Amino acid sequence: MKRIIIDQEKCDGCKNCTVACMQAHRATPGTVYDLDLLDPKNEARHTIVANGKGGYFPIFCRHCSVPDCVGACMSGALCKDPVSGHVQYDESRCGTCFMCVMSCPYGNVKPDKVTHKRILKCDFCKDDTEGPNCVRVCPKKAIHVEEVSA
Amino acid sequence: MKHLILGAGAAGISAAHRILKEKPQDEIIIVSQDEEVYSRCMLHKFISGERDAASINFINDDLLERKNVTWIKGKTLTRLDADSKTVYAGDEKIASGDTILIATGSNSVTPPIGELRTAKNAFGLRHLSDARAIADYAKKADKIAIIGAGLVGLDAGYALLELGKKITFIEMAPTALAINVDAHAAGAYQKKFEEKGVKFLLARKVVGTKGDGKGSITAVELEGGDSVPCDMVVMAVGVRPAIAFLEGSGVKTERAVVVDDYLATSVPGIYAAGDAAGLSGIWPNAQKQGEYAAYNMTGTKWAYDDRFAIKNTVNFFDLLTLSVGAINPQEGDEVLVKEDRDNYRKLILRDGAVAGVILQGEIGGSGFWQHLIKNKIRIDKLGKSPWKLSYADFFGVENNGEYKWVV
Repeated sequence: MKRIIIDQEKCDGCKNCTVACMQAHRATPGTVYDLDLLDPKNEARHTIVANGKGGYFPIFCRHCSVPDCVGACMSGALCKDPVSGHVQYDESRCGTCFMCVMSCPYGNVKPDKVTHKRILKCDFCKDDTEGPNCVRVCPKKAIHVEEVSA
Repeated sequence: MKHLILGAGAAGISAAHRILKEKPQDEIIIVSQDEEVYSRCMLHKFISGERDAASINFINDDLLERKNVTWIKGKTLTRLDADSKTVYAGDEKIASGDTILIATGSNSVTPPIGELRTAKNAFGLRHLSDARAIADYAKKADKIAIIGAGLVGLDAGYALLELGKKITFIEMAPTALAINVDAHAAGAYQKKFEEKGVKFLLARKVVGTKGDGKGSITAVELEGGDSVPCDMVVMAVGVRPAIAFLEGSGVKTERAVVVDDYLATSVPGIYAAGDAAGLSGIWPNAQKQGEYAAYNMTGTKWAYDDRFAIKNTVNFFDLLTLSVGAINPQEGDEVLVKEDRDNYRKLILRDGAVAGVILQGEIGGSGFWQHLIKNKIRIDKLGKSPWKLSYADFFGVENNGEYKWVV
């Protein structure tokens, strides 16, 4: 499967990836230039955590080989796509129990801030033939897509 | 190999999926009392009418249509013959297998009080058939007494409230959700229910019922002399493993089926998982037990080591709560609390580690707490406020790009 590989040492916390993620998942069409960064509806699906010493931890969904979020999903809304290996979310099936949020050991899954009626998680920009938006915009190549065994 | 899976809930279905991944050619027979596959966690959405039976089905592939999978539904098992690994419903021989997984779940408990066990307007809530009966009877009921204000009770109340019913909760504990969250977090839910007209009678015990002489309860009587008039009763006071059919089979049982670290029962080739195994029936655990049992059934020895079960998420009125580990401090613990208009957050620190967390309001990205608490990872040497912790403090990457915890 394809996974976003993280080279933590290269990350300088610019958050281009974060803006790219917000842009990729915005509800309204538009360019990155009119993306409202203050609108809580435009949440990114990953976080970049500063270590306070000039370094950063890019926390991105791993689409784990054995995803705890999927195991916790009691509605069938989360599943590991047998072909792509990516953990995908079907909002229409979600029972909003948020056990997936509780179960991701890396703290990746979250309820949407505005309505608390769905979860937000990385979908690997599944409809984008060019792959994940975050990877494309990283100026330091701190993240890249690689085929891995999983 | 032929694998016989008893039960089509979280544990049984995850076992079937895992067996097919490990041994795609093996034959699987699933036997269930249920005639549909459904998520128990969404029964309240069925009662309220938000979902129908088909849309609370949690299987998202063609598992039951595979040619080597047979599903025998609607069978209430009465006997297991351990020698021939065969199950029966009455005199009818239902199926047999080389291995068996007991994943029959549990049934709701009905207290032996008054007419609760016999009345036609008193219901437990565990199966889709229960939810159907409740939804059906609720059409002609107005005042509903719910005994038990834990998660299942509140679920039922939430659903019936959506149908416009007048709800009264009767709970023995001094708070709602007493085993899930602390009094403060429970109070926030109680307030939201009360704003919708729901009544809570807390620290009250049901001692009897009044009937109309025609098989229906008209009031629930409480210790101290009060009574709650009602035209329907829902009981949500706990569950008991559904393992009566194992009597005399030689499979060792106590309150639940006794299993070892490999989820194996006292009879070789017979395993148990989920509520039937009594380790922890909450969904993520039952699902994982089903998978581990399946590994062991297909020849990969794999110990089930995740017995941590003190974890819950609660969602009513879109107010979210995550609760992991200790909910109330014991002597010597340090308690940290933060509160604002939208959030209540509490940490219990014990022996240099986090013993429990309650987050009410925003719970995004909080899954790392479970790992931290479950594994008793020390945080006292990190030199930072526990509130600032995240997975980043334990960040590590495997060769294949997966994360690992570095402590």
